[in-house]
Amino acid sequence: MSENTLAQAPVHLRQGSSIGQPLTRRDGVLKVTGGAVYAADNHPPGLLHAVLAVSTIARGRVAALDLAAARAHPGVVEVMTPGHKPALAQDPDEKAGPFAFRLDLLQDDRVRYANQSIAVVIAETIEAATEGAALLAPRYEVEPARMDLHDAESFFPAVVGAGTPAAEHHGDVDAGMAAAAVRVEATYDTSAQYHNAMEPHAIVAVWDGDKLRLDTPSQGMAMAQARIAGLFGIPPENIHIRSPFLGGGFGSKGMISGPQVLGIMAAKLVGRPVKLVLRREQMYGPVGHRAPTRQTLRLGADAGGALTAIGHHTKTASSSFDDFFEPASGASHSLYASPAIATSHEGVRLDTGTPLFMRAPGEATGSIALESAIDEMADACGMDPLTFRLKNYAEVEPISGKPFSSKALRQCYEQGAARFGWASRPLAPRMMRDAAGMLVGWGMGTATFPALMFQAKARATLRRDGTGLMEIGAHDMGQGAWTALAQIAADGLGLDIDQVEFRSGTSDLPDGGIAGGSAHTATAGMAVHGAGADVIARLAELATGDERSPLFGAGNAGVVARGGRLSRRDDEARGESYADILDRAGLAGIEGSGGSAANPVAQSAYAMHAHGAVFAEVKVDPDLGQIRVTRLVGAFAAGTIINPRMVRSQYYGGMIWGLSFALLEKAVTDRRSGRIMNADLGEYHVPVNADVPSVEAILVEERDAHVNALGIKGVGEIGITGTAGAIANAVWHATGRRVRQFPITLDRLID
Amino acid sequence: MASEQISFCLNGQVVVLPPTTSAASSLLDWLRGPAGLRGTKEGCAEGDCGACTVALEEPDGARVPINACLTLLGQMHGRAIRTVEGLRDAAGGPHPVARILAEHDGTQCGFCTPGIVMSAWAAVTGDGDPHEALAGNLCRCTGYRPIVAAMAAMPREVATPAPVPASTAACFHAPGQAFHLPRGLHALLSLRAAHPDAWLLAGGTDLGLRVSEHRERPPEVICLLAVPELQALHIDAHGIRIGAAVPYHRLLAALRGLDDPIAAPFARLLARLGSAQIRGLGTLGGNLGTASPIGDMLPPLVALGAEVTIASLCATRRMAVEAFLTGYRTNALAPDEVVTEVIIPRAGPGDVVAMEKLSRRHDQDITAVGLSAWLRVVEGRIRAARVALGGVGPRVLRATAAEHVLMGAPWSLETVRAAARMLDRDIAPLDDLRGSGAWRRAAAAGLLERVWWRATRPDVEPMEAL
Ligand SMILES: Cc1cc2nc3c(=O)[nH]c(=O)nc-3n(C[C@H](O)[C@H](O)[C@H](O)COP(=O)(O)OP(=O)(O)OC[C@H]3O[C@@H](n4cnc5c(N)ncnc54)[C@H](O)[C@@H]3O)c2cc1C
Ligand code: FES
Ligand code: FES
Repeated sequence: MSENTLAQAPVHLRQGSSIGQPLTRRDGVLKVTGGAVYAADNHPPGLLHAVLAVSTIARGRVAALDLAAARAHPGVVEVMTPGHKPALAQDPDEKAGPFAFRLDLLQDDRVRYANQSIAVVIAETIEAATEGAALLAPRYEVEPARMDLHDAESFFPAVVGAGTPAAEHHGDVDAGMAAAAVRVEATYDTSAQYHNAMEPHAIVAVWDGDKLRLDTPSQGMAMAQARIAGLFGIPPENIHIRSPFLGGGFGSKGMISGPQVLGIMAAKLVGRPVKLVLRREQMYGPVGHRAPTRQTLRLGADAGGALTAIGHHTKTASSSFDDFFEPASGASHSLYASPAIATSHEGVRLDTGTPLFMRAPGEATGSIALESAIDEMADACGMDPLTFRLKNYAEVEPISGKPFSSKALRQCYEQGAARFGWASRPLAPRMMRDAAGMLVGWGMGTATFPALMFQAKARATLRRDGTGLMEIGAHDMGQGAWTALAQIAADGLGLDIDQVEFRSGTSDLPDGGIAGGSAHTATAGMAVHGAGADVIARLAELATGDERSPLFGAGNAGVVARGGRLSRRDDEARGESYADILDRAGLAGIEGSGGSAANPVAQSAYAMHAHGAVFAEVKVDPDLGQIRVTRLVGAFAAGTIINPRMVRSQYYGGMIWGLSFALLEKAVTDRRSGRIMNADLGEYHVPVNADVPSVEAILVEERDAHVNALGIKGVGEIGITGTAGAIANAVWHATGRRVRQFPITLDRLID
Repeated sequence: MASEQISFCLNGQVVVLPPTTSAASSLLDWLRGPAGLRGTKEGCAEGDCGACTVALEEPDGARVPINACLTLLGQMHGRAIRTVEGLRDAAGGPHPVARILAEHDGTQCGFCTPGIVMSAWAAVTGDGDPHEALAGNLCRCTGYRPIVAAMAAMPREVATPAPVPASTAACFHAPGQAFHLPRGLHALLSLRAAHPDAWLLAGGTDLGLRVSEHRERPPEVICLLAVPELQALHIDAHGIRIGAAVPYHRLLAALRGLDDPIAAPFARLLARLGSAQIRGLGTLGGNLGTASPIGDMLPPLVALGAEVTIASLCATRRMAVEAFLTGYRTNALAPDEVVTEVIIPRAGPGDVVAMEKLSRRHDQDITAVGLSAWLRVVEGRIRAARVALGGVGPRVLRATAAEHVLMGAPWSLETVRAAARMLDRDIAPLDDLRGSGAWRRAAAAGLLERVWWRATRPDVEPMEAL
């Protein structure tokens, strides 16, 4: 049974029985049987295959391509080059909007990073296209590549991340440092990382006149439509994108990438459907990455362990031709109370692809440094790291002074620590060993991620047969939109979930907003919720205005929608089914719509964040430096939990990303050629099953009356934050060595 | 030999491919292309991710997971393959393995899922460790724990062997290409003599990369998989004779049933070679053929004093593996020769045998430093010692200075430590992606010391990675 009343009841009373249920993933069976169709699985008749030729240098010009050899190769249909390509309506280097990143669409012969597309070979088969691409045998005019964060000339960008100010402060950090009894000043390095979703970027493009049909994974179909529309000079509604399943995105499929657009151009050039799928190594350049950082933390504390100052400065890199600066210092804005906080960013330009949002952009990177520094400070103060964090617990958001819309971090600390057994941790490092003589260490970190809201729309229909339809162009990249949004839809419509048809994943549906910033469930969910409320209101209007209805005269405020019936709030026995109302009105169905957006009033009054606490155990072999994470316990509070199974799964995944950040992920560039030396899954390490410890995620109860009417915060990214630092801190506790370069590798633990 | 058509059993149905099909195209390209079976995914095309996992259904009932991206069509002639589309329960619904994975929320984005389903389906016929079964499947989303829980809940199954098409010696011709599948040693050696430049293809886990990753089109391929003499596996009191083309998974099963001081360390090391998928096709002959300084099987073969039998049409010779490995990725084979078998002597009851592999990542990672040792201890003294290392020089090498310290000395921690210190004289490792030379020296010493702990504290399992 589910319900959606029209009265202004508190949110949690309005929630019916679908929200909060641990339903299994509704698309699970499709996925385990191989029936889920991903972009590259589409194969329209007449399909040609396109393969990118990519540069092997990081900076310079393409001097020559053996076009004749490639064109002559059997099966090759066309070779698209700067000199031979369909005209575009817009310069790909034009900044058409804040999220219109500059793309490499063969506009000229310049090479600005390794793995940049320099030509596209289109052929009857994938083999012929690949062989054709190899025959191009490019020659280059090479210019020296700028690859080192510390060699390049730096500057101060005005904004970082998605447009937040690059420098912020409250209070006087220098004064706070001067007054401090204990000071920690340390520098932390993080490495360049690549998203590496398991599904490579892919596109199947079919032109029909000036209409375009695309199968391509997208975390933001409406944004992709707008970008493609601008580039090709066609109306956005002419572009029909299908993206029912993404094989992971993590930010790299948020904006349409250059290679995807090249697939569309290739289809236009040959006048036939074209499929273009990136090879794994081609994902190390044109589809974004997390830039390396060097972060300098300055912490001061008084004799009692109360922070007097937090200074967090980040040096990071963007590409030579566009701006995206990893907003790492922002992590220090909201976590720990301090009378003085100053954060700043400094940028350099390197000959790489443009960095991009990568799961917990800024927060992940900044949190590993901040949590390490906090741990160093706790140690310097002779305090237990949890005690120290509680001592500096922020009752209001430190940088802004705003109250939190809700904050159950204290409960996260308590529940996580209890579950982990933190209380028996020896204060000093290198005190614990296991039976095999391995050093054992325990560390912790605080997790945080802002609760964001974007804009979305949804459409709801109640049908005469008593079923409902909810339509929204939402995105499921694995987080469970097919399930969680259907749950919200069921409650919004006052129907059992089995009575609701949920349509999603295509661009012809109402714009579901972007799946990013951990905000998709909140954003799309609120649109769905609103559409449900709207259609119920219209139905109620029909019934309460009709003398033949038992609800006649009840008035909107007095009607409850539940289990496919409207009934009087004061007397639930008096009511009738949706079907009866529609039947009598002679309607096949009734439609409503909803939209969602952040509430600016609430946003200016409150700081909105999800929080968590992560506890880690590691073992280190004192002879070999091998590190193994053996236990992770995370406790997270993120407002209303729509589906605890999906949420737990997000926390697990996030925590493993934290492990990966701390111990594994690092792109290694050859400083001379600018090429990435480990551009594959064999050498760019992400965790395998055996790297993963026992993991527990505790869902801490939290109600939030301000973030949105359903009280939803995000859960997709927070798991990385806190975890990476907890592991780094556990390594210190095991070994007594503070490694400040991430990932922590074995050679840093033995000499 | 006349050209024939490739034929195999796919999801229980015998299929015959058109005559011009290139036998050197990858099974994955064929499945996702002409066969229209796109449940099997491509995540890397180089054996690293497992999204392309399918399973061989062997005549003995074994289900063997393999990477379809590395497998060439010609290798599948006469075999039986199952893909995710071919897994159903009796009523045509999802197979229990798939259903249980879904119920345990073992998916998020689902892109890795078909491969994981196939690995799990292959594993449920045995009582193996789910962790071992999953080593070759990367999942970027779930953190694996729900998948492991699902695998623990899957009911065991008895496999029914699939019908395989009868096949004889074959040669598959495609434009510009011939793929030979001889069915006897003599035929193999004749072909080798006639085509000394042909690719000699065993499991293809090294060579297949050249097709799938670099899209090379070899004009001439001679496949070893159907030669019965190269598939023999024979263990008696004198030694373990392993046909050069015996896939690792069969060797691993045999070692696990063997009572010999070699067996446990060898099995433990082999279980970390690549992944279940790589072991489904990879062979000792291939590891010797590639002769990489980080080939996992090479330090143990050198330390154990193993020999290889090498045959050509004219002659058969036998030589020590140590002599066979001549340099960085080079070996002693003449162009008309083939390795036919590897002979490992049996160890004595009191012998100390250890085979260690250090890698950055526990599974699916090549060796940073490998060390194998064989010590004969008689009445508290070391009477014979062979120590071999990989990853510390251009080829797998013997640690002669360390061996010198060990030889004749009392079997004690002090002796082992003294030998470990001498390793510095034996090796000159370089810096690379997996670690600095200095760290490699320290790690090699740590591994030699581990030989002592393995022998004296077998109850304690040391860490293997990171
Ligand atoms: C993802 C992945 C992970 C891997 N992990 C590991 C690992 O952890 N450890 C490791 O050691 N290796 C690893 N490898 C490499 C590879 O699996 C091994 O080297 C394997 O033993 C090769 O055997 P194969 O039968 O597949 O060789 P093939 O690819 O068939 O052949 C390799 C070479 O040996 C030659 N050859 C094969 N058989 C004979 C013979 N009988 N006589 C003469 N020459 C012959 C071939 O001509 C070729 O030059 C990995 C490979 C991949 C793709
Ligand atoms: S596609 Fe990745 S292992 Fe085959
Ligand atoms: S579920 Fe996404 S890679 Fe495994």
